[in-house]
Amino acid sequence: MATANIKDVKRRIKSVESTMLITKAMELVATSKLRGAKEKAVASQPYFSTLYETMCEIQQDRGFKSIYTKKEFLKTVLVVVLAGDRGLAGGFNHNVLKLAEEKIKSLEKDGRTVIVFPIGKKAVEYFEKRKYEIYNKEYQISDNLTMSKALRLSDSIISGFRKGIYDKVELVYTTFVSTLTQNAVSLTVLPIESKDLKDKEQADTDKSKKTALTLYEPSAEEVFDGLIPRYISGLLFCSITDSYAAEQAARRTAMESASDNANEMIESLSLLYNRARQAQITQELNEIVAGQMGNN
Amino acid sequence: MKSYKLKIVTPEKTFFDGEAEQITIRTTEGDIGILANHIRYVCNIVAGPLRVKDASGEREAALSEGILKVSDKGVTVLVSTAEWADEIDLERAERAKQKAEDILSNKSRADEFERAEIKLKRALARISISEKYRL
Repeated sequence: MATANIKDVKRRIKSVESTMLITKAMELVATSKLRGAKEKAVASQPYFSTLYETMCEIQQDRGFKSIYTKKEFLKTVLVVVLAGDRGLAGGFNHNVLKLAEEKIKSLEKDGRTVIVFPIGKKAVEYFEKRKYEIYNKEYQISDNLTMSKALRLSDSIISGFRKGIYDKVELVYTTFVSTLTQNAVSLTVLPIESKDLKDKEQADTDKSKKTALTLYEPSAEEVFDGLIPRYISGLLFCSITDSYAAEQAARRTAMESASDNANEMIESLSLLYNRARQAQITQELNEIVAGQMGNN
Repeated sequence: MKSYKLKIVTPEKTFFDGEAEQITIRTTEGDIGILANHIRYVCNIVAGPLRVKDASGEREAALSEGILKVSDKGVTVLVSTAEWADEIDLERAERAKQKAEDILSNKSRADEFERAEIKLKRALARISISEKYRL
């Protein structure tokens, strides 16, 4: 009995040790990937802030109209969900998918039709299994997202919007707050809300007069419509980078605690092992002594 | 010559940030030149050459599509990609050109037409600038 126990415990220690090697390695990989993702997000900042600024300015132009800003019946909504390609990242995938599901449920309650556009392998699997109407499932975004990929993604979203397959686009993703906190959030991509822009306009009317002097060539509308794909791809690029950073951070934290747990487990198993070994030695000694005594 | 602040930004990096005296850039309406004290101006730009003239001389770069914005603070160019003449990978551009032409000549792939056209323009811009630089 005792010998079998020793063997078992030893085997378990070994297996926990090898698991720990993996979790440790994953933690290190996630840390370095997180750094890369953060750098990428920072590098793209100036581009998108200028882009956004320009768009706001164009919208302030008098008599401005675009199909991307109009609000119509809003019958069908496209929900874009960003999740990870892989698991083992704590609650990362679960949280964002749960929020997406809640969002879809509340939209359906309001009598809207929902089409899902999952990005990332986990999201595709999740929504396929639950038989949602899926817009496009060929996007299993990996770590090396390039701008041209984001542009193609936004092209696909915009073309559906222009064709009238849906008239609203919502995006659900995880935002990176800190290494320890990641929040699942949702935002409206299309139509472009002019709410905050209007506030600005009222706040400084003289400023909007000034922007009206800007010369747009060929016209404000055309410049704006040309900007839209860039804006949306930028938005997607940012949120995918953001979501990726969040995934890595979540994985890092999960793997860190997994390694800690493994350590703890090894400690208690070693204790168990030593006890069993000692018991075995004591028993053997007892047997030897008893044998000697019998001989005498 | 009077100079102004020029900033060329791509999603990956800030490509150029400094003083320039004149730039020549290709817009949807044709090539335009911007000097200091230009009026406020915004337009879309297409893949093509960019010429930047500053105190030290003239430099050329290949840009892809984006926007040009002239404000009181200076000139900002937002593009998807930007490369100086000596940074261009000519072989890659030739390959991209070939691929785009293949798609354009194949009428069954109509949905990819627009993208191929953009790619072809980018490749041609890169090739023309790179070749000029080599001469």
